[in-house]
Amino acid sequence: MDALIYTVMSGAERVLRAQQVHANNLANLETPGFRANVEQSNARQVAGAGYAARHLNELVSDAVSGREGALRETGRDLDVALQGPGLFAVQLGNGEAYTRAGNFSLDADGSLMLGKQPVMGDGGPINLPAHSKVEIAADGVISIQAPGQVELQPVDRLKLVKPEFAALRKNEQGLLVARDGQALAADESVRVGAGRLESSNVSAVEEMVNTMSLARDFEVQMKLFKSADGMADAGNRLMRD
Amino acid sequence: MNPAMWISKTGVQAQDAKLQAIANNLANVNTVGFKRDRVMFEDLFYQVERQPGAEGPDGSNAPAGVQLGNGTRMVGTQKVFTSGSLQTSNQSLDIAIVGQGFLQVEGPNGRPAYTRAGQLQVNAEGRLTNAQGLRLQPEITIPAGASSITIAENGMVSATMSGNAAANELGQLRLSNFINPTGLLALGDNIYQETAASGAPTEGVPGADGLGKLKQGALEGSNVQVVEEMVDMIAAQRTYEMNTKVLSAADNMLQYLSQAVR
Repeated sequence: MDALIYTVMSGAERVLRAQQVHANNLANLETPGFRANVEQSNARQVAGAGYAARHLNELVSDAVSGREGALRETGRDLDVALQGPGLFAVQLGNGEAYTRAGNFSLDADGSLMLGKQPVMGDGGPINLPAHSKVEIAADGVISIQAPGQVELQPVDRLKLVKPEFAALRKNEQGLLVARDGQALAADESVRVGAGRLESSNVSAVEEMVNTMSLARDFEVQMKLFKSADGMADAGNRLMRD
Repeated sequence: MNPAMWISKTGVQAQDAKLQAIANNLANVNTVGFKRDRVMFEDLFYQVERQPGAEGPDGSNAPAGVQLGNGTRMVGTQKVFTSGSLQTSNQSLDIAIVGQGFLQVEGPNGRPAYTRAGQLQVNAEGRLTNAQGLRLQPEITIPAGASSITIAENGMVSATMSGNAAANELGQLRLSNFINPTGLLALGDNIYQETAASGAPTEGVPGADGLGKLKQGALEGSNVQVVEEMVDMIAAQRTYEMNTKVLSAADNMLQYLSQAVR
């Protein structure tokens, strides 16, 4: 059988899966700190003698967009947004993972948490003692006002890192990790702002346009599918007549 | 089936939940002591189909991998405990907590409950209660014939008795605070209950130890900001719409496919 139909199939398969990437980005349009996944189509040569001119198509999608999201004022003390490039570090198992989401909360023991993960400070997970007020400064230093005290005293500092986005990938939980699996070193130059949250960096327009164009791509693949079918049918008729 | 359809479904569902929270916030825009709810989302787990660097069938290393997301999920709702605007009501039994802290009442099931709504009342036995009739803890009894009740910033309740020039001290209101107020369980009726997530309450005198002061004759309004909710509502509606668009694009693709093979 002509290999056209298999080439078409690889194209159609890629479009279906690319649609999944864009659907996921759009579903997370309102997830704070979410970084859009980038999807890309790759030509892949078929190995073997006589196939040199044949290329199949495959989906590559493990890159993450490093564009910054819009900042929203929320007024909550434990909402922190990164100003400019940088990432927060959270504890994941024995290692570390990174994220741009800064909607922290405290658990009953005073540990600073991001969802189910403890937030990392200079020397491990951050724990805040009893306090009546908490402030997070631009360099990530967390100060508290102990009950009965007037002055704020620093207790810990958020671990902030500044890697290149190209050196990161998402893990199964959607947190960012270094491609080589190593923990990143803290960077002093990262700035944060308390009382605000960074929204998702998904561009709705871009995702919609991509979705529509992928749907049309798929239509084209189906047309080719039909012509491959037509050609095979014509061949069959030649034998019958 | 086309997985994009299920992913869009999670997006549509999430926005549905968000709209419900916005509707509740807007409905409570005039509820004294109400704290707005905020819906938080997170991305669902990722399918890592091929690790970068995995060996392909022809022996070459794949330069990059495939990771496909599965949509979004509502992690939970957070009560946002920023303070609401103060409204002056000039009622002697209205109090506002300026700062942190909750008034403790005896909850409907006998367990302590906490509230920031300070519309106090006196019941038939002369006890101070909240607007729902739940008794304030520690209990304070206003004797019959008491006139001009005063509640000081530190919670001291005093009243003048008829025929007596000096005011009588009747008792002191206390406030409770939690390390993580967001973890409190909202019971409705403006009251909250302690949970494992909120931590144990620490009790104190108003104005001391980081607790707020009491202001008599004022009420703390709801902290819902109408404009913010409206903007959120528009965003939720449009996100809903865009996710439905992807849903129909995915549906169209399946239609092309079934037509091609017919």
